[in-house]
Amino acid sequence: MAERKWLDALAKGDPRALGHIYEAYSERIFRYCFRMLGNRTDAEDATAETFLRVLRRSAELRADGAFRTWLFRIARNLCIDRMRQHKLLELPPDAQYSGSEERSTLRVTVQQALNSLPREYYDPLVLCDLEEMSAKEAADILDISVPALKSRLYRGRKALRDKLGSILEKTS
Amino acid sequence: MNEELIESLVDLYGGRDLSPESEEILESYAFTDAQLSHNLSTLRKTVDLLKSDSGPELTEESYQRILMKIYARGADIEPSFSAPVHLQYQLPIQG
Repeated sequence: MAERKWLDALAKGDPRALGHIYEAYSERIFRYCFRMLGNRTDAEDATAETFLRVLRRSAELRADGAFRTWLFRIARNLCIDRMRQHKLLELPPDAQYSGSEERSTLRVTVQQALNSLPREYYDPLVLCDLEEMSAKEAADILDISVPALKSRLYRGRKALRDKLGSILEKTS
Repeated sequence: MNEELIESLVDLYGGRDLSPESEEILESYAFTDAQLSHNLSTLRKTVDLLKSDSGPELTEESYQRILMKIYARGADIEPSFSAPVHLQYQLPIQG
């Protein structure tokens, strides 16, 4: 309900509206862009561009449950464009994780295994398992059917498991 | 159970999408099937590992830098949280 109010206000040019939407979604969009692009600077640029697109297209905004899906789709398309431009395929050195050294090493290993998966597996895993979106939302963002999304998600989990191999035996 | 059905159940088990009763039945079935048992545990560990990853943090500095990039492109944005003092531009001290 509050989101509807802010989206209506944004369409009317209220500067506080974009600020509110930024506060509500910047963390998730940034995290998603960082996962897609692998480094902070590119993730910051893509996040800023995502919110600029929201502003530019505020007249088309639909204040319903589809807003979040639409927002992530914009972020995803921007990240893909950026990846094509820079060919950002390697895990960058500035990936930051908090926690113990052992835990951080494990996370980097998982991230590397994840990055090595084909994109058709990578995207559903990021959206459903890391960003905890529903299958319907993820399918809408990726513009595929829910059964196709689930099929890729299940195959992706198995592919990731195969890549992690013996590491899984060591985790509790 | 046929292989295709087991495969589907393993997928659902990995993502914790089975009811507790169904999980129990599958686990009891896996008790006598080492391969199935291994599939169940490794797939669940994979999904749990992913779900436990809180991901990269949006630091205060990044939050403000993104805002600056938005301002720099001429957007009218007014967040309710102001920048912390240590991130605000400091005027040089005179004298």
